[in-house]
Amino acid sequence: MHWSRDELGDITIRRCFYVSEFAQEREQQDARFKKMDQFILDLKQEKFNGSYDLAYKVINHLRKLISQTRWAHAKELMGVIRKEGKQLVAAQPSEYVIGNMVRRVLKIVREEYVRLLGKSEEFANTESLHKMLTSAETEDEKYMKSLKELKTTVMEAVSEYIDEMDASIHNIAAQAIEHIHSNEVILTIGKSRTVEAFLKQAAKKRKFHVIVVEGAPLYHGHELAASLAAHNIETTIITDSAVFAMMSRVNKVIIGTHSVLANGGLKAVSGAHIVAQAAYQHAVPLIVLGAMFKLCLLHYSDIGGSEATFNRLASPHRVLDYYKAGSQDLCNVQVYCPTFDYVPPELVTLFISNIGGNAPSYMYRLLSEMYHPNDHEL
Amino acid sequence: MNDEEIAGYFEDKLKDDDLSSAIAAIETLLECLQRDAAETLSGLIHNLKQAKEVLVTTDCLATTSVSSGSDLFLRFITLASLELDDFKEVKEILISRGKLFLQKVSTCRTKITHLGMPFIKDGCVILTHSYSRVVACVLKCAAESKKRFSVYVTESCPDKSGNFMAQLLQEYDIPVTVILDAASGYILDKVDVVLIGAEGVVENGGIINKIGSYQLALCANALNKPVYVLAESFKFVRFFPLNQQDLPNQFKYKASTLKKGANLSIEHPSVDYTPPSLISLLITDLGVLTPSAVSDELIKLYL
Repeated sequence: MHWSRDELGDITIRRCFYVSEFAQEREQQDARFKKMDQFILDLKQEKFNGSYDLAYKVINHLRKLISQTRWAHAKELMGVIRKEGKQLVAAQPSEYVIGNMVRRVLKIVREEYVRLLGKSEEFANTESLHKMLTSAETEDEKYMKSLKELKTTVMEAVSEYIDEMDASIHNIAAQAIEHIHSNEVILTIGKSRTVEAFLKQAAKKRKFHVIVVEGAPLYHGHELAASLAAHNIETTIITDSAVFAMMSRVNKVIIGTHSVLANGGLKAVSGAHIVAQAAYQHAVPLIVLGAMFKLCLLHYSDIGGSEATFNRLASPHRVLDYYKAGSQDLCNVQVYCPTFDYVPPELVTLFISNIGGNAPSYMYRLLSEMYHPNDHEL
Repeated sequence: MNDEEIAGYFEDKLKDDDLSSAIAAIETLLECLQRDAAETLSGLIHNLKQAKEVLVTTDCLATTSVSSGSDLFLRFITLASLELDDFKEVKEILISRGKLFLQKVSTCRTKITHLGMPFIKDGCVILTHSYSRVVACVLKCAAESKKRFSVYVTESCPDKSGNFMAQLLQEYDIPVTVILDAASGYILDKVDVVLIGAEGVVENGGIINKIGSYQLALCANALNKPVYVLAESFKFVRFFPLNQQDLPNQFKYKASTLKKGANLSIEHPSVDYTPPSLISLLITDLGVLTPSAVSDELIKLYL
């Protein structure tokens, strides 16, 4: 084919236009990927300040993902979230909050889809004998309908959930007055922001005594004790080894936790199991404070198929400093500094979260309300 | 279908070793439903209830699960009563729903295997009791995924079904040792986890299983070993025993023994009841449940 000069010029201009548009979109996509990559890098380097901070960042990241990616229907959206979730969890497997947030968002998507279709809530709910006998629709047919309002409703629901999370410490602290009475002796271990807020709230109306276990080798207990003393709460610091000796004088043990497992057990700060066992021995009630986002679908045994992701080993320098450990006498000695402890559910009396107090045996119910069993595996 | 045909069909189905007794019962009831000559819904239900009575009084390995499985099937029939005029249409729908139910119920074991796999860790020592198809299935899958573990099986008198279980596990290349029932306390020190099946799961989360399970669970608890029960959801039964004596005779003794009118005080019961406080987790196709979650599931179905 022969092209005249004018036509050639035209085609070249058009080509340039297409190329620049394409490049623009590529740039935008690249910027998005960079942000997500940056987030994953942050996760790997543990650049977060406690589980609440991490949960907040993850859910905001997911919210951005929902608004920025293109998806046709709920199933596709869940696929996108799931894929991103897998990457996030792989970046930091010992932090269960990441997985919790991803599954919570998936459950929100399912709920909103069902609500928009006008069916009852129970339809989207978990497996049950009843469902096995009454429903005839197979799983694959669901979630494929394209709904215009799905995006806005999902974003609204996620924002609502973020607000709920924001208020969680406040809601837990508001229940303090029912649990702490005058002249009681409370024991706690390590430093938990929830426990701190809880005790400070109770101190506004009651006078009580707090014993803080220092929590070697990180000694977070010292910070908590200083903070409580500044609020005019009578505080005593004891070493970890003195827990059993002091337990007979304690009325209640109140601890925070890193996460709550599916059977009602805890993944708490190292030393918590000792405190729990001593409390059980003296028939002292153990109260655990934790917001709902700390509740995981995982059981103690099924953590990625290996125990490696349950505990995080901190630097052993705090246990035995490098200079001493490197000496001739100690060079064959192995030093560990685990950060977490497993506390079995039989030792826990009450679990206080932002939705109220529950027994550990009730965890299964809360789990079924928060996550969908099909999301157990991302 | 008259009583002999029903019993015959049921016994025929039972010959397939891989089939759970309850599924064989449900298949028999489905066959009854298809061949039934009743002209009304209540007539149909009456005939099916009679068929269930025949099944429950037929000898099989697990009378409890036959009873619960049949109850669930009949419950399913009554839930699905439709307001159509033509009885033939209603029957067609019931039959198709019955087939769907059977299909769903047959996938229970694969779901349990999937959920139970993470509880078997590399290098662990497992203790199991008597012959359970679900436990064998889970162990087979674990062996196939190249996990290294060893198994102790109790011999489980009087029928010595533990030997059969050991034979089966050996076929899957799993190192297995048969121990005396009396030696379970002795061996528990070396064991990491106790895995047992169940013939029935009662309302409070306790289980009805081969005699010796209660003893095993008591010892495991005393030594702080976790006890995991693997059971399909059709074994959930609306029954609340408070002690061993509360179990009905038709669960404890074989149907033929009861028919003979033997002196029950000298007969050995074939099952016992393990209370929920001794069970750590129940791994079912509805998920991994704590014993307290079982009553919730039953309420959702029956109310």
